[in-house]
Amino acid sequence: MTNHTFSLAWRLFRHETKRGELTIILLAIILSVASVLSLSLFSERLKSALTEKSAEFIAADRVLQSNKPVDFAWIEKAQEMGLNTAHQTYARSMVFANEQMDLVDLRAAGTGYPLKGTVKVANEPFTQGVAITQLPESGETWIESQLFQTLGINIGDNIEVGDKIFKVSKVLTEVPDAGFSVFGGDPKVLISKEDLAATKVEGPGSRVGYSYFFTGDAADLDDYYDWLEPQLDRELHDWDSIEDDESGIGRAVGRAGQYFLLASLLAIVLAAVSIAVAAQRYSMRHYDPVAIMKTLGAPKQMVQQIYLLQILFITALGITIGAILGFLIQQLVVAAIAGKVDVSMDVWHWRPLIIAIFTGTVCALLFSLYPLMKLFSVSPLRVLRRDLGANLSSRLIQFVASGGAIFLLMWAYSQNIKVSAILFVTGIVLVVSLLAVTYGLIWVGRKFGQGKMGAWQLAWARIHRRAMDNSVQLISFAVTIMLLLIVLVMRNDMVQQWQNQLPQGTPNYFLVNISQAQQPNLQQHFVSNQVVVDKFYPVVRGRFVAVNDEKVRTAVSKEDPNEQSNGRDGLGREANLTWSNTLQKGSEVVQGKWLGVNNDNDTVAERPYEVSIEEGIAERMRLSLGDKLTFNIGSEIVDLNVTSIRKVNWQSMQPNFFFVIEPRALKSFIPTYISSFNLPSERKADITQLMQPFANVTLIDVDARINQLRNIVDQVSMAVEFILILVLAAGALVLIAQVQASMDERQQELAILRTLGAKGRLIRASVVFEFIIIGVVAGAMAAAANELSLYMLQTQIFQMPASWHLEYWIIAPIAGALVVGILGALGCWRLLSLNTSQLLRQMV
Amino acid sequence: MTPTMIKTNGISKTVTTTQGQLQILKPISFEVKAGESVAIVGASGSGKSTLLSLLAGLDEVSEGEIYIDGQAMQNMDEEQRAQLRGAKVGFIFQSFMLVQSLTALENIMLPAEIAGHSDAKKRALDILELVGLDHRGDHYPNQLSGGEQQRVAIARAFISQPKILFADEPTGNLDAANSEKIERLLFELNQNSNTTLILVTHDSVLAGKCERQLHMQAGELTEVSSSSVSETIAQKAG
Repeated sequence: MTNHTFSLAWRLFRHETKRGELTIILLAIILSVASVLSLSLFSERLKSALTEKSAEFIAADRVLQSNKPVDFAWIEKAQEMGLNTAHQTYARSMVFANEQMDLVDLRAAGTGYPLKGTVKVANEPFTQGVAITQLPESGETWIESQLFQTLGINIGDNIEVGDKIFKVSKVLTEVPDAGFSVFGGDPKVLISKEDLAATKVEGPGSRVGYSYFFTGDAADLDDYYDWLEPQLDRELHDWDSIEDDESGIGRAVGRAGQYFLLASLLAIVLAAVSIAVAAQRYSMRHYDPVAIMKTLGAPKQMVQQIYLLQILFITALGITIGAILGFLIQQLVVAAIAGKVDVSMDVWHWRPLIIAIFTGTVCALLFSLYPLMKLFSVSPLRVLRRDLGANLSSRLIQFVASGGAIFLLMWAYSQNIKVSAILFVTGIVLVVSLLAVTYGLIWVGRKFGQGKMGAWQLAWARIHRRAMDNSVQLISFAVTIMLLLIVLVMRNDMVQQWQNQLPQGTPNYFLVNISQAQQPNLQQHFVSNQVVVDKFYPVVRGRFVAVNDEKVRTAVSKEDPNEQSNGRDGLGREANLTWSNTLQKGSEVVQGKWLGVNNDNDTVAERPYEVSIEEGIAERMRLSLGDKLTFNIGSEIVDLNVTSIRKVNWQSMQPNFFFVIEPRALKSFIPTYISSFNLPSERKADITQLMQPFANVTLIDVDARINQLRNIVDQVSMAVEFILILVLAAGALVLIAQVQASMDERQQELAILRTLGAKGRLIRASVVFEFIIIGVVAGAMAAAANELSLYMLQTQIFQMPASWHLEYWIIAPIAGALVVGILGALGCWRLLSLNTSQLLRQMV
Repeated sequence: MTPTMIKTNGISKTVTTTQGQLQILKPISFEVKAGESVAIVGASGSGKSTLLSLLAGLDEVSEGEIYIDGQAMQNMDEEQRAQLRGAKVGFIFQSFMLVQSLTALENIMLPAEIAGHSDAKKRALDILELVGLDHRGDHYPNQLSGGEQQRVAIARAFISQPKILFADEPTGNLDAANSEKIERLLFELNQNSNTTLILVTHDSVLAGKCERQLHMQAGELTEVSSSSVSETIAQKAG
């Protein structure tokens, strides 16, 4: 490349930038980089914040669970690698006081616990806790409210844990790693690690587990895991992060992450569309200079170098401005929501910047490839025959280059080929069908538009004459509107679903151990105190003893996910067995058939008792359909045949059961009942009075956990709203760019109409009609395309039930007409404000 | 003896239309000597511009041969023709054809830069002064009047000291006063640099200022007048 070529390219770039020739393409690049950077930087920061927040639910970034104490060298290595560590031993143990006893979840915490989140304590049972940074002193213990009730003790009393006596010094209201399975969890008892040995709960046959907590940089944690992994024994050890947590927090954060990803991908597509539109316009405006240069003897290679350099200059400038702008937008958004969502301003992520630069470069180069190739093919003969355009007409290159660019970007960005492929294939199908529909509509429309030349006829005539340009424009409007609809609808559906999970009035207290005789009184008592009690579930306690006559050993339970599976596991403790003829709301049979549906031909008396088991426990305990489970219920042995496996929504905060048995199997046992109710925070003080007549009934307070969950969901919803606003802004800018570009093409016609004496009102009305027609059609097509894409997204990516959105079939065309019509009118107004000679001069 | 600058031998142009093949230029043969000025006149659609485009190598002949300064253009590809234009040919157009985003000075520099002359700017400044626009070098085309734009175009055409200058209706877009100025400038520069001038025009007065006039009609060429008796035009009918 000669210096002349470079300086010519640079000069053209400088002048054209100054003269506003490059504004549209520059804006498109700036927009793409700014939107991708702001969206992805914001979502990365938000994700870190949410991960940080959710890390509180496991009290650390990573937890190593073990059935035996681990080699201390492992912990030392972690510390050497810059990680913070803490340790907790937990055991299921009996506690005694006042000749009462209860099975508890004993936790002996070492210094540093919890690494994430806080322990909260109170001075009175069933009152609001406050955060505390210390752990119990040696010889003291903090216990949960329900245990005060069960044991009939007060603060300052002593309890016996194993061989040691502890003074109860505080009420334990919250530990971060409590787990979310609210029903059936044993009350927690927190002691200092130093006191554990004295209790002697560790020993042969005891059920003790060890948690080792780690926090640190994600990279350090990964490095540590790489080092640790070869030494782990799958039978003994389990390496957990928040994603493994079953609280639903991990899933909510994961789904929000998917949403941000989707929003950013769509922002990339929006940006790409605007760059494609702008590049097309750029190319057409340079037909003359290229023809002149060729006429003056410029070799093809020189022309190519000049314009490629120009594109590079534009790209570099666009990326620089876009990156600065994107960063500022993101800072503004973060500042605007500070206080509502914890997003750290200090964390800097390089990936979004790299992705933004990559996006800007790939979009600018690949989307301008075809327009540039067209430009290069312009014949020098154009200097004599002005009507000559480009010689290149293969759209295949355009489709391959643009399609390839979009797919490449999606893939690079999401690192998820499935999401990319779904969006991409849906997109291709859409564009092809839209193209067909567009041609059809334009053809039909022309028939309607025939007759005396009014604004309406002019509008249709223009649409018809520029069918190809218009269909491309129409498709880009439709795609833009569709993408905006997707982002809007997904946000509504997702937030709605989250809120449905924890609607107002979600039970925040559980009642356990209600006797049959107490049940009506309790209900009446609560009602008279204006508290609604939910359904009463009958429960008998049974010990799970064998599978297919083979005895089970050790322990695992849903309530205590910290425990390890080891061989064929049992529950190790009594399970709550309920019976029901109907499937619980929110549950779904995933294998087999619901109780009683199976054996129509057998007489009831002949067939074995049926049991439906929860999916998770089936997997953990390796149970399958047809297995015979043996339970010991009140010294009676009951055999049950597994006839169905159920998926249970553990996030529903409703009593859920691992085992649901057909009623006839348990008719001879006397059940107790469990139920739940909601009590607003301001009535918390009424608890004592409410429970006073029912001393034996155990109360489990999950208010704190629900609040924790709701807090996260609120934050994620809020963040999603802001992402939505960002994408809407990006979409609006794309629409403006498109209208601007198309306005440019209309200039000549407007000038001619003006010169021929057409009234401004007629011209304006015809342009507005044209845009309204395009807007309505684009909106309608977007609504249809939206349904298809959403169906794919909801079912394939978000694992949500598919939903239909009929309202958007009305909203989208109206909104399309309004927005596109107004933008068209504004653009037209600018052109019409120029006089005819200015218009003609601008066309030179 | 004056060397031949342009020689055509039975060149014709046929285009494909929806109705089939259409011959828009019947076979034409003629020669132009170096330094000669030739006007091609004729009505709109007579084939003047087609002939010009073939002579300038902007388009390819369907049949026949064209020699420019002894080089056979029909054997050249587009790149070689561009190279030839860059080295030997200058252009002036009715619609000026200036690059809108370059200033007057930069437009003039363009051919010299394309040809890789390192003194492009100095040459351009000199010639800008010659066409009387030294005070408007920094102006963009749309800031100049039509006459000024055409003077810039003339300056651009002469900067590379071309052997042949093709002018397509150079005064077609100008008023009488400006036309006269442009004509004077054109012929003055042409004479001073001994350039061969091929001028396409409707204007009989302008055509009359050329040494020879060739008349195009329905794709056929006839010589109307010639001050050079030694030259002939051989025209092959149909």
